[in-house]
Amino acid sequence: MRLPPREHELIDRSKTVTFTFEGEPVRAFAGDTIGSALFAAGRRVFGRSFKYHRRRGLLCCSGQCPNCMMTVDGVPNVRVCVRPPREGTVVKAQNVVGSLDRDLMAVTDRIGGPFTPVGFYYKTFIRPRWAWPYYEKFLRNAAGLGKLDPHVTERRRVDHEHAHAEVLVVGGGQSGLEAALAHARAGRQVVLIDEGPEPGGHQLANRERIMTMRSLAAETAQAGVEILPFARAIGLYEGNLVPVDRGSTLVKFRAETVVAATGTLEQPLVFAGNDLPGVMLPAGARRLANYWSLRPGERAVVLTVDDRGVETARELEAAGVEIAEVVDYRERVPRSVVAKGRKQVRSLTVDGKRFDCDLVVMSGSPQPNYGLLAHARARVEFDPGRGIFVPVELPPGVEVAGEASGDVGSPAVPPPSHGEGEGKSIVCFCEDVTTKDFKDAVAEGFDSIQLAKRYTTATMGPCQGRLCHLNAVRVAARETRTDEGTIGTTTARPPTSPVSMGLLAGRPHEAAKRTSMHHRHKDMGATVFWTGSWRRPHSYSADPQAEVRAVHESLGVIDVSTLGKLLVKGPDAGAFLDRLYPNRFSDLKVGRIRYGVLTNDAGRIFDDGTVARLADDEFYVTTTSTGADGVFQWFEWWNAVWHMDVELANVTGAVAAVNVTGPNARKLMERVFDGDVGNEAFAYLDAKRGHVAGVPALILRIGFVGELGYELHFPSPHGEHVWDALFEHGAEWNATPFGLEPQRILRLEKTHILVGQDTDAESNPLEAAMPWIVKLDKDDFIGKWAIEHVQERGLRSLLVGFEVPSGRMPVEGAQVVVGGKSAGRVTSVRYSEQVGKVIGMAIVPIDLSGEGTTFEIRIGGELDQAVVRTQPFHDPEGAKLRS
Amino acid sequence: MRDIFFKKKMWRRHELKPRYDVVIIGGGAHGLATAYYLAKNHGITNVCVLEKSYIGAGGSGRNTTIIRSNYRTPEGAEFYRDSVKLYEHLAQDLDFNLMFSQHGHLTLAHSDRGMVVSAERAEVNQLLGIDSRVVGRDEVMEICPQIHLDGAFPVYGALYHPPGGVIRHDAVVWGYARGADRGGAEIHQGIEVTGIDVSNGRATGVQTSRGPVAAGTVIACTAGWSTQLAAMAGVKLPIWTTILQACVTEPVKPFLDVIIVSGQLHIYISQTDRGEFLMGSGVEPYPTFSFTSTFGFIEELSKHMLDLFPQLASTRILRQWTGLCDMTPDFSPVMGLTEVDGFVVDCGWGTYGFKATPIVGTTLAELVATGTTPRLIEPFKLERFYTDTLVSEAAAASVTH
Ligand SMILES: Cc1cc2nc3c(=O)[nH]c(=O)nc-3n(C[C@H](O)[C@H](O)[C@H](O)COP(=O)(O)OP(=O)(O)OC[C@H]3O[C@@H](n4cnc5c(N)ncnc54)[C@H](O)[C@@H]3O)c2cc1C
Ligand code: FES
Repeated sequence: MRLPPREHELIDRSKTVTFTFEGEPVRAFAGDTIGSALFAAGRRVFGRSFKYHRRRGLLCCSGQCPNCMMTVDGVPNVRVCVRPPREGTVVKAQNVVGSLDRDLMAVTDRIGGPFTPVGFYYKTFIRPRWAWPYYEKFLRNAAGLGKLDPHVTERRRVDHEHAHAEVLVVGGGQSGLEAALAHARAGRQVVLIDEGPEPGGHQLANRERIMTMRSLAAETAQAGVEILPFARAIGLYEGNLVPVDRGSTLVKFRAETVVAATGTLEQPLVFAGNDLPGVMLPAGARRLANYWSLRPGERAVVLTVDDRGVETARELEAAGVEIAEVVDYRERVPRSVVAKGRKQVRSLTVDGKRFDCDLVVMSGSPQPNYGLLAHARARVEFDPGRGIFVPVELPPGVEVAGEASGDVGSPAVPPPSHGEGEGKSIVCFCEDVTTKDFKDAVAEGFDSIQLAKRYTTATMGPCQGRLCHLNAVRVAARETRTDEGTIGTTTARPPTSPVSMGLLAGRPHEAAKRTSMHHRHKDMGATVFWTGSWRRPHSYSADPQAEVRAVHESLGVIDVSTLGKLLVKGPDAGAFLDRLYPNRFSDLKVGRIRYGVLTNDAGRIFDDGTVARLADDEFYVTTTSTGADGVFQWFEWWNAVWHMDVELANVTGAVAAVNVTGPNARKLMERVFDGDVGNEAFAYLDAKRGHVAGVPALILRIGFVGELGYELHFPSPHGEHVWDALFEHGAEWNATPFGLEPQRILRLEKTHILVGQDTDAESNPLEAAMPWIVKLDKDDFIGKWAIEHVQERGLRSLLVGFEVPSGRMPVEGAQVVVGGKSAGRVTSVRYSEQVGKVIGMAIVPIDLSGEGTTFEIRIGGELDQAVVRTQPFHDPEGAKLRS
Repeated sequence: MRDIFFKKKMWRRHELKPRYDVVIIGGGAHGLATAYYLAKNHGITNVCVLEKSYIGAGGSGRNTTIIRSNYRTPEGAEFYRDSVKLYEHLAQDLDFNLMFSQHGHLTLAHSDRGMVVSAERAEVNQLLGIDSRVVGRDEVMEICPQIHLDGAFPVYGALYHPPGGVIRHDAVVWGYARGADRGGAEIHQGIEVTGIDVSNGRATGVQTSRGPVAAGTVIACTAGWSTQLAAMAGVKLPIWTTILQACVTEPVKPFLDVIIVSGQLHIYISQTDRGEFLMGSGVEPYPTFSFTSTFGFIEELSKHMLDLFPQLASTRILRQWTGLCDMTPDFSPVMGLTEVDGFVVDCGWGTYGFKATPIVGTTLAELVATGTTPRLIEPFKLERFYTDTLVSEAAAASVTH
């Protein structure tokens, strides 16, 4: 039942919305939360606890505790005390079998109590071994809170923004507002964020202070402070990064100074029955009365260590609650406190004196909320005089204001718990951990807070210890007969409060790289797939072999723009490359091309490509498609280390490349290229500049796929123009586009390697069968020492070509087997029409690497024979390349 | 079962003695398991474990507990295979429920390259009798109907490893600690080793925050801190240290049984018996000893995770944390004797050492007891970096721990 309209209430009684709870309609006013509306409708039980399925009611009304989690519109674990309903919102109870009021699983509270002592699971269900999966299934179903909807695939739109502030104040209570004002008056750009609908903090639930807070907020805004409501700091990360949850936007703030004005966390007191519905924290009771004009109870007992409880009692009285007793711990600390009741609290007995009541307000220690500071590695110390942890020693760029700093007056220190024996005294509400569990844990040897925490799981629930960390430390200290300072804190880990993965993920988009001819490929019917971060044509028809045939017989065209392309220029360019590659480039003639592999310090191959000398002091280097960025970084790194006179530019995106290949390639080039393409003038491994279809281009005569070929490199913006021209002029020879799959077949026929496929993280050039590429007579190059070492120890394996006489096809990755054991593997394999055989490459033991040697490989689980071929399968002499 | 009601100390506290036959540095799973098997298999009981913090404070209490044996190299796969076998009977052996749930492990492939790597691993595994095979999209859907196959990086198939699973990491630590204690070893928490005494090329003892301790053999089971410990003995390790991050969500009712790993998306996920999703990624690319968590980690992880499981969009991350990882160049561990007599190392466990715990314990104990290197750990000798016989697991261990 609502109280008559009250000044400053947050509800607007002229507007209503209706939602459903367990199928029944519930009416709420604008300004209500689901929780307040349910309370108004008479509901007192809001949830069932994690382990014992105990009834739980509203406790904090500020979204901190686990008590009111429900499933809202299919989303589990929503704290309904702070979630406003919308018209038609569907709300369901969770973690119950039956209903909230009659939960069948609640037997675990009574009979389960003695059967589920702390550590129970570790000591049971051990034998028989086969039974564990069944027990486990049962346990899994009993655990967990809400249920996920497996069919949801749609995602709410979320945006990410970046923002800067000279000063970012987190928390809009009085001290936050004052700190913001002071910084703004000192001329700094200040942003203040607060998780509530308006700044004011806990004083908003204080009818005497609310107007003062509103005018302070107005003054702060006037002074130029930007105030963001509904904004929750997720954490304080390195570099003063404060990601802020704003519902459908994640704002990533970077601030010169972060001020934590995060106030305190009201702590429960530990006594028997302290989790009964009707036992509340001060803020919870006040908010019910002052925000939503609800009477939290008829008759209340207040237990308090400081003025909060006293003030709350006054506020409650104003809302018509009869105050049976205020127990002020500063005057007298009670030894025993016991709450009783079944569905909700009915009485509280304090040191033998019994009060009938339906509301207990427990105002335990005001623990400074130092979570953010702890993320930034502030040191935290226990203050025994006040029984709380306070931050000391802040990192640079971080300040703390108000109660969060420990400025909480002189509260009394409550005992870790009030007597025992009369039912459960809950320390950790989220995980249902009792004082007895702590006693048992310590008795078993879990005698540090870290071990006790892990064994009991206290502080590991949805509130991450906000409601129990202090009490857990204090109970553990008592049980181990040490003090809280010695026991110490557990680590406060980000995020400050649970944050949804949807918010973190932002919009679901993935950057893809496409070449400038991409749309032409699609138009020509290419199937496109991912290769690294590129989208590339796999093939243009269902029959890649047809594309292979076109290349062998007439003319094929492939987009190779994804190749990495680097310019290396300067007087030392040649010497620079000599140090990077095992082979030599300083003696390469201008206008000529040489193939090279790159090795790392350990002599392992990590990339390959061609190097063309464009001028005395200029080289054009190509890399693999996936290696481009890595190779560029590698070059830059060494350039910085060696201080050589070399400039580097990564032109991968700026330059498009197309390979024109096949017996008729020269004929096409004659049509589109403005230079002499005769075999004399433009020989194999020559690099020439000129124009292709009117576009300035660099032409490399190379042949990765084994036929006469020209690789045209030209500015990317002309991609479609050049592509079109090639097909227009090539129509006569039936120019055919080919994709990556046919290219792989073609290069395999030539046994040209693919780095990363035919090599792995341990391949060196000698065992990858490229001894000719290593010039050990050079002064030095990266990996020289390691390769010399390989030469010295002798080769153990070798990359060879092979064919499978049986015609059966092994998978790539199939094992070479010797004496029943793995001795090598197939790195590549395809069926080649040209060769008429299943061909491939494999890494085999050195004694099986001679031409014609037979070895065994595993095909479909059985052993089959393969025969070593050390020469390329197609055009072994390279006559076609040179023709 | 009796212990449920009769609280008995899991392990005792002791006064530090001036000498032990074996001093084990590091009270993680490896150190404790070694102490356990020294007593159980070889009757060596004058043993102490020195832990600078609390037992399980290192990687053993921070890992995401994936246990599997579908490695890429025959050496690695065989070693981990034997470890998984020991794990399967460990609860009975230790009389402690470790909650080992072998619900299967799927390593997704999002490209034809990825399929090749999967095929290679399956082939290696099958030769060694490990249950491991390549499955196509349909079978992925059968094993894990919740998965969204056609996200930004479509799933081509996966490497499926039915015996792969997760375990309660703390239970493994505590179970071994209790077993070691009952076998006669002493567990000392809060004692830091500050130096290793070496004379005439032989380790003779350690210096600690509570004074010197003489030792017949010194074993460093210190994972992320190993380079520091080895340096105390003058041994250089080819190891760099960085952090690996992980996070968990709020608990929900059972949604996901299998472990899902995607090397390309750099993520993995499992759902614990408590109902939380336990998720992680690859190591940070920079060397560090700082345990600082980054925001970028949960951001990137969420982005890619939702690509596979859009149902998790409103699931909330509860906490994130980091742990040190001692990385070797070939993603395989370094185990065994060093150039300093009596100083044994057990390190280079990077992101994957938890699953090796039982086999590490048994082989190290055998090494200490017999003085010879067991065949199974022969390939992981420190010498391999001088003899150029690396055991390359990069393809099978960089994201899938
Ligand atoms: C986030 C994360 C996820 C992981 N996921 C997996 C996984 O899914 N599967 C898997 O198999 N592995 C995983 N790992 C790796 C695994 O955690 C470790 O390899 C393993 O725990 C190593 O165990 P350990 O006993 O050797 O070392 P640790 O558990 O790290 O123990 C070393 C101990 O040595 C102590 N110590 C250090 N220096 C000293 C000193 N000077 N004196 C005394 N004591 C000292 C430390 O305090 C620590 O307790 C993961 C690691 C991390 C960080
Ligand atoms: S009360 Fe939330 S974790 Fe203990």
